[in-house]
Amino acid sequence: MINEPDTRDLLTEARSVLVDALVPDLSGDQKYQALMIANALGMAIREIEQREQGEPETTDRLLSTFLAERQLSDQSSQGEEALARALRERRLDGGDPQLRAVLKEMTEARLRINNPGYVT
Amino acid sequence: MSVLADTFSDFIVQRFGARSARVIEFDKLSGGAIQDNFGLTLELEGGDRPGRQAFVVRQDAPSGVAESLSRPEEFRVLQAAYGAGVTAPEPLWLCEDPAVSGHIFYVMARASGTASPRKIARGELTEDQRRHLVRRLGAELARLHTVRPPRDSLSFLERPADDDPARSRVTHYRGYLAEIGEPHPVIEWALNWLEDNAPEPGDTVLCHCDFRTGNYMVDGDELTAILDWEFATWSDPCEDLGWLCSRSWRFGNHDREAGGVGFKQDLLASYREVSGADVDPAVVSYWEVMALVRWALIALQQARRHMSGEQRSLELALTGRMVAQMEHDLLNQIPELEEAQ
Repeated sequence: MINEPDTRDLLTEARSVLVDALVPDLSGDQKYQALMIANALGMAIREIEQREQGEPETTDRLLSTFLAERQLSDQSSQGEEALARALRERRLDGGDPQLRAVLKEMTEARLRINNPGYVT
Repeated sequence: MSVLADTFSDFIVQRFGARSARVIEFDKLSGGAIQDNFGLTLELEGGDRPGRQAFVVRQDAPSGVAESLSRPEEFRVLQAAYGAGVTAPEPLWLCEDPAVSGHIFYVMARASGTASPRKIARGELTEDQRRHLVRRLGAELARLHTVRPPRDSLSFLERPADDDPARSRVTHYRGYLAEIGEPHPVIEWALNWLEDNAPEPGDTVLCHCDFRTGNYMVDGDELTAILDWEFATWSDPCEDLGWLCSRSWRFGNHDREAGGVGFKQDLLASYREVSGADVDPAVVSYWEVMALVRWALIALQQARRHMSGEQRSLELALTGRMVAQMEHDLLNQIPELEEAQ
């Protein structure tokens, strides 16, 4: 179904109206609330962009390769669940550089959506 | 509101043995999902403290949080801290009769200044003023930590299992994470690290447990009050030092470990001078890691409150999206500590 302008475009425009036209006239609690809305819209926009670029699949593939190599893949659960359980049950060495690299990539992928400025 | 102002005013008049009081100002103060805070300024005639006095009345809000202390418990903690010489608001009276205002409440003296982290950490204090404030924070904690168990008035505070606050926290936090029920591999990994690297238990003391910029008031460059005592409990002194220094509470001033205001070396030096106790910076760093885990779990719990429909709120929802920041900090800070060992 063609339904244009697309969601990303709508959200981007809505966010810029809020930030550029409305926020400058607000103060106090209303300004705070408007900035929270702008923040939420920004996350939604970045999440759509990342999905378009296939980023979630790349992170998932990295995780499933890591789990498969250590025979921790589990048909009944998602990768993150299997990884969390293996850590809780102490079946992984916390110092393993590959483990740390996977954890870092998963976290950075979320930060690229939630707060890109935080990844330095 | 004015009925409530008169209720509190009458209560204070009676307690001070004043002849009468005029309400100068009464307003609801911000910042309290767990409790309502009211500011009340009175002009008192006669009695123990005649003249203009500013008070804060703190009472339970409709939605309580199980984890935090009740108002009577908080009042007793405040009395213990104030009695130990901590710059806390002077606790005046506790009213446990809900017939008076509809809720249990207590009255304390109102401190001047601001608690805003933006004004304190990001404001215009000079380098000397910042150092002075950080040293003051160290001294305040040293005084608070002279309160030790057992203490009859604080018998409601639970002691950590085996007097081992670190391991006891790890056990509790694993429980919280299991209750939240969503997978968080980084937090699991960090909890394992905290278990494997737990310091030998030291003294168990009264800790504030939310001692950070935003929870103390500053007027000019002077600290006027340490607020928000509802999470206080018996713990390791380094838990308070670590929470203050945690990366989550630096408000953008990342190089200023002590609350985004100043430097850890000044904080610890002052703490040592006043307490006479030696503090191992490595143990403080350990508790900074614990602080990241604790804040991540609180943020997850807050997001759950929104997601479950218990309290729909954009602020709570966005707090849930902050967890990746704490996880990122854990992934950086743990290797840094390992390298330093």
